[in-house]
Amino acid sequence: MTARVARAPNLGEELEAIVGHGHATDRPAHLAEVGIRAAASEPATWLVRPGSGAEIAEIVRLANRRHIPVSPVGAAARPPAALGAAEAGILVDLRRMSHVLHLDETSLVVHVQAGLSAHALEHILAPRGLSLGDFPPAILASTVGGMLSVRTPGKSSPRHGFIEEAVLGISAVLGDGRSIHTRVAPRRATGPDLARALCGSEGTLGFITSAVLRIHRRPEARFLSAHHLPDFEAALSAVHLAMREDAAPAALRVYDERQARAGLGDGAVRPGGAVLLAATAGPTDLAACDRDLIASSASALGGTPIAESFAETWWRQRTGREDSPSAALPSLQVSARPSRQAAVHRALRAAAAEAGIEVCVYASRFDPYGAVLFVTLIDPSTGEALGAQAEDAARGAIERAAEQAGAALLGAVPPALTPYFEDMRRRLDPAGIMNPRALASGSE
Amino acid sequence: MSSPFSPEGVAKQLDYCTYCPKMCRLACPVSNASARETLIPQAKMDTLNQLRRGRVPWSEPAAEPLWGCTGCRHCTVYCEHDNEPGLVLFSGRAEATSRGVGHPRLTDYPARFRNRDERLAERVREHVPRDRLGADTTVTFFPGCDAIDKAPEGISKALSLFDAATDDRVQVADIGRACAGYPLLAAGYPDMFRWHAAKVAGDLKRARTAIVGCSACVYTMRTQYAAEGINVSTEVLSVPEFLADRISRTPKRNRGESVYYHDPCYLSRYAGVVEAPRRVLAQIADVREFSWSGVDTVCCGGGGMLPKTMPETADAMAAQRLREIAQRGGGTVVTSCGTCSYMLARNAPRGVEVTDLHAYVADAAGAQPSPDATGDRAPGAEPSAPKRPSSTSDAP
Amino acid sequence: MTRPAIDSDRLARALRPIVGDDRISAKETDLTTYSRDMWPRLLISIREGTPLPHRAHLVVWPETVGEVAEIVRVARSQGVPIIPYGGGSGVCGGTVPVKGGIALDLKRMSAVAKIDRDDLICDVQAGANGEHFERELATRGYTFGHFPSSIYVSTVGGWVATRAAGQMSSKYGKVEDRIAGVTMVTGRGDIIDTDGLARSHRGPSWTQLLVGSEGTLGVITSARLRVSPAPELRVLRGYSFPDLIGGIEALRRIMQRGLRPAVLRLYDEFDTLMNALSGGGDRAPADIRHHHAPSPPAGAGALPRVPTQSADVEERSGLLGQIVGQLVPKDRRRGLTQSLRRELVAATLSRPRLFNNVAGPVASRGLRRGCRMIVGLEGSRVRTETEARLTFGELERAGGVDLGEEPGRRWLEHRYSVSYKMSPAFRAGAFVDTMEVASTWERLVDLYRSVRAAIAKHALVMAHLSHAYPEGCSIYFTFAGYADNQKHAEKLYDELWRSGMEAATRAGGTISHHHGVGLLKSLHMREEHRESMAILEALKASMDPDDIMNPGKLGLSAGGLS
Ligand SMILES: Cc1cc2nc3c(=O)[nH]c(=O)nc-3n(C[C@H](O)[C@H](O)[C@H](O)COP(=O)(O)OP(=O)(O)OC[C@H]3O[C@@H](n4cnc5c(N)ncnc54)[C@H](O)[C@@H]3O)c2cc1C
Ligand code: SF4
Ligand code: SF4
Repeated sequence: MTARVARAPNLGEELEAIVGHGHATDRPAHLAEVGIRAAASEPATWLVRPGSGAEIAEIVRLANRRHIPVSPVGAAARPPAALGAAEAGILVDLRRMSHVLHLDETSLVVHVQAGLSAHALEHILAPRGLSLGDFPPAILASTVGGMLSVRTPGKSSPRHGFIEEAVLGISAVLGDGRSIHTRVAPRRATGPDLARALCGSEGTLGFITSAVLRIHRRPEARFLSAHHLPDFEAALSAVHLAMREDAAPAALRVYDERQARAGLGDGAVRPGGAVLLAATAGPTDLAACDRDLIASSASALGGTPIAESFAETWWRQRTGREDSPSAALPSLQVSARPSRQAAVHRALRAAAAEAGIEVCVYASRFDPYGAVLFVTLIDPSTGEALGAQAEDAARGAIERAAEQAGAALLGAVPPALTPYFEDMRRRLDPAGIMNPRALASGSE
Repeated sequence: MSSPFSPEGVAKQLDYCTYCPKMCRLACPVSNASARETLIPQAKMDTLNQLRRGRVPWSEPAAEPLWGCTGCRHCTVYCEHDNEPGLVLFSGRAEATSRGVGHPRLTDYPARFRNRDERLAERVREHVPRDRLGADTTVTFFPGCDAIDKAPEGISKALSLFDAATDDRVQVADIGRACAGYPLLAAGYPDMFRWHAAKVAGDLKRARTAIVGCSACVYTMRTQYAAEGINVSTEVLSVPEFLADRISRTPKRNRGESVYYHDPCYLSRYAGVVEAPRRVLAQIADVREFSWSGVDTVCCGGGGMLPKTMPETADAMAAQRLREIAQRGGGTVVTSCGTCSYMLARNAPRGVEVTDLHAYVADAAGAQPSPDATGDRAPGAEPSAPKRPSSTSDAP
Repeated sequence: MTRPAIDSDRLARALRPIVGDDRISAKETDLTTYSRDMWPRLLISIREGTPLPHRAHLVVWPETVGEVAEIVRVARSQGVPIIPYGGGSGVCGGTVPVKGGIALDLKRMSAVAKIDRDDLICDVQAGANGEHFERELATRGYTFGHFPSSIYVSTVGGWVATRAAGQMSSKYGKVEDRIAGVTMVTGRGDIIDTDGLARSHRGPSWTQLLVGSEGTLGVITSARLRVSPAPELRVLRGYSFPDLIGGIEALRRIMQRGLRPAVLRLYDEFDTLMNALSGGGDRAPADIRHHHAPSPPAGAGALPRVPTQSADVEERSGLLGQIVGQLVPKDRRRGLTQSLRRELVAATLSRPRLFNNVAGPVASRGLRRGCRMIVGLEGSRVRTETEARLTFGELERAGGVDLGEEPGRRWLEHRYSVSYKMSPAFRAGAFVDTMEVASTWERLVDLYRSVRAAIAKHALVMAHLSHAYPEGCSIYFTFAGYADNQKHAEKLYDELWRSGMEAATRAGGTISHHHGVGLLKSLHMREEHRESMAILEALKASMDPDDIMNPGKLGLSAGGLS
């Protein structure tokens, strides 16, 4: 990237002039608060807290004039270490931009600033009987801007689709400082969906300042259920069967034996077996209907219902009200479409066995196109997760095996499209200042 | 409301098609096979409309789209205005031909038609024992040109079925003509057609019933002869209708085989013959359906002179028609029209057999033709027609 | 006519090695056919016999993705435009070759690949005809659930290129809701696959950036579409609401409760009247019709004669009667009150204000019909039954009166009939067209009123709402206008569209819900997207740096008409 390090002495003043006194800082302690290690010698990194889209536009214009990179710092969801050691430039912290601009309860649409955390938004919506939808609680920790800028699987639910599909309109600042506001409409046929260019572009094509999102009424009823299945693949098949029957559950999870023991206790699973956990929600009759569809699909694959309390345990863990005993982060995650899931599962187990290790697997984040398999590598001698070093050594071969069986590794940037993306980026951000290190080809 | 055949009616048809959002295009087999937008019914009709209005001067290239039609009437199934693009386009061909801008490959067609007709009439005599030939019987069999040309061995098989089905002695029409004249209409020569039709009708008039093997001939003799003012007192029946009417005397011997039945357009959509062949076939086999069948059948490519004017497209149509059967693992396709069975057979993919209804039924019955139906040549002695380029065929 | 300097012969020479002789045409007849689509403004010229202003130089029929890529590279090297052509059923002039070039007909690429039972994804080539595709799926036990009124005519590629919507969109979604990925040959001549099933990719959703591109970014050669198991059960009902607002409220409640009926159609007062009068269509659907060839009268000749122009005179002179006749079929006319019949006759299309003013009140008060709604649910048996019960309950709570199954069944039988009504209207000297706008629920009634008022100044107008979402809905206006000559008709047409588009934008709606932009709305793209056009421009420049892909469309460069 062409951005040069800014050395102009009055950058801080200029930034303060835009965002107001006290909202621009280059103090290492402040930077550390957002997880940035400042370089001791050259405090060229400024953290600013703008209060509006207009201020962001001015910041970007200033950055253009001075050829300084502008990057967002998100809330906790994405480790800010993505930026690593402080890089010269302007870091934009959106925490001041955390207002609901308009709540349209007739249309069930909310216009919200990008700095509001999804959690906080849920808190605002809840008393009104509203919600963003059945998204995994884990994703709610990030800001709305962060949630939309980074596209990863899992920001979805079988019932409410992908979070970016809930975007009806977006406001953003482009690389040259122009502000855009896409037209809000339920659907349209006026060319490509321009808001979707910004969703997932990680702050490179534009800086999301606010979004108009579809919201939902809180479900009238929620049912939790748990089923024991003869094996992991039968449990996956039960999910596919229920989806074919039009079931639209709020959340689903499939545990292999080891994961079930760890998460739900020994009583949940028999040797070799697997557990299917489901939450269905919506109008009472429909939620009950979906629950029954899942039950009959499970039973068609040799499953039997087990105590609802297992499902309640899962739900409490999922919503963070109870600690998950397997707190360790999974060693690897792959996504696979329904028809490949069984093969991928077999392949990664076989590859692990080859390497003399065991695995613990669960499937989650089901959406119409597939699910994510979360794999923890286990040291057979201790029964514990592998140490970091051993894990790094083993991961590659298992990932390759999964990939060959049809899985997709998370986080890759599609190489064939990179030239097009880079080209758009150059056009929208000729100075190359917008989050320059993000989304380079193959970057993680 | 004026009749669809009156000048006002035809003008309305042409205008409606000109302004139509191409609603019947999904059905037109010619444009489906060629993917040429100019050959969808709407565009062909619009072509004629612009010519008729003098907005485009008549010329061979300008009138060329009029020839891209087999007259299969599939479009009419999807037209809510009761338009008849096939018939109207044929009349456009006649107009083009009379203006000297007919199809370049059909300029000497009437002469060729006459030669072939005579040759085939002669050929019948070679294949049918003398005592089964005649023009004087109560029930006569008129096999149709392609049946005589491409599958003459089938004639005896048909006779064997008729012998079992009726006490009347059915004789093959020996009237010096093998065709009812449909190709002349399709080729743009309605005057020659009228002349030919009058001859055929006159020669057949002693028969109470004519069993007609060619699907186009059935409609032509039933309807178009009368439209030309030619009185046909003879009852015209297709082979499946004749057999279905005598179902108790047609072979019953279910061999557990399954066959697909291909509806010839002229039987299903012109003459309304859909159930009869299925009833006959169901006695000896399980009848399976194409996904487009009955009045929704897809044309084999043999109609409307297409094998002459656009031979590659005609063959592509037949191949496309059978692709579904190949994809399902192959099988036997039975049809009841000499032209269909010829077009389909010559384009059949591996694993797909095509045969005529009367031949299939006769064979299934144990191929026991009654002794006097067997001539000097045993039926089936001649190998079935090898694949030939269709331009040697005068199939309609 | 503007025909920039393109050397057709040189172009054909370069293309012949790719596709051979048979799949290139420079025939006059072909160039004429491919110079248009179903944009009603073009039909006005066609009726009057004025040649259309733009023509392609060649028509080419590729059969493989590889061929398409090679063709694009040749076009790029010679600076020649390419206009992807599907079914040519677009209603906005999207396939009009405003700068000449190659009309690229995709219909020879129509294969439908195997469907994996678990994935419920079908890879289908762009040229597949909509009805053929649905029937193919049906034989395998699936449905795509996309039933536009043009399903007989349009192609999968056209749907994807225009973000089309079918009559069952409230369950199955619009095309963009049902697409996992596309294969496209970009304007640079590369073959790219978007997303596909690998949801794991980071970066923006390329699929959503290419869907709706109307041929301006590249040629879509295939799409991965989400299919559903064929429904086990279908339930249909008619409901009646005292007025449009009540009906809209019911639609909103159903969608927001999380119910997804496949069909939800609400007709405004006038559309309800029209529907009732025409019985939803005059004929039984094809498959149940007894189908025989007509017999020409004896002695009339085996073939009709090609009529001379004098055969047209009679019908054209009875213009008023024609229009009214179309609006009110003979057998229903008796059912009308004497005064309404007079009003219908008196209110000619050349006095639309009067007619619109009369028609609304007459429709709602005089006939006390209110607004008709058609509701249909389908899917797996158990779930559909439950959802139907909840939906009907919701409708009744919202004040709807159950009319039983009959209206629903009739609608289903005649659901494509409306598409046939263009012919009589145009023959009678009128023009008809449709305008489909959309907004969130909050703005919807305002949108309805302002767009209706804008159109009503120029033409007879009615509307229905047939694509509902939890957050909003589209409104589909149908209008018929009349002027005494081509020039006036085109002026009226343009004026009508300009004021309709402006009204939609002012009311906070989008100018198109599913027909796309083409040439018709190209000039309004800036009002629609404002500064966001910068993103579209950047996308265009990166996908098609030489502006060879369908130039002049989507507001990206100067179009040729208007
Ligand atoms: C009577 C009638 C009823 C209709 N009803 C509906 C309806 O219910 N719902 C609805 O959504 N629409 C409807 N339409 C509009 C029209 O049918 C749709 O826009 C349809 O999607 C167009 O498909 P097509 O194949 O005919 O495309 P075309 O008209 O051939 O092309 C449309 C546009 O897409 C581009 N394009 C086509 N194929 C490709 C490709 N493979 N790659 C790239 N670009 C391509 C073309 O260049 C053009 O810009 C109707 C139209 C008519 C005439
Ligand atoms: S035959 Fe009927 S459906 Fe076909 S183009 Fe003509 S008017 Fe349209
Ligand atoms: S009659 Fe058959 S071939 Fe002719 S236009 Fe109609 S569908 Fe096409």
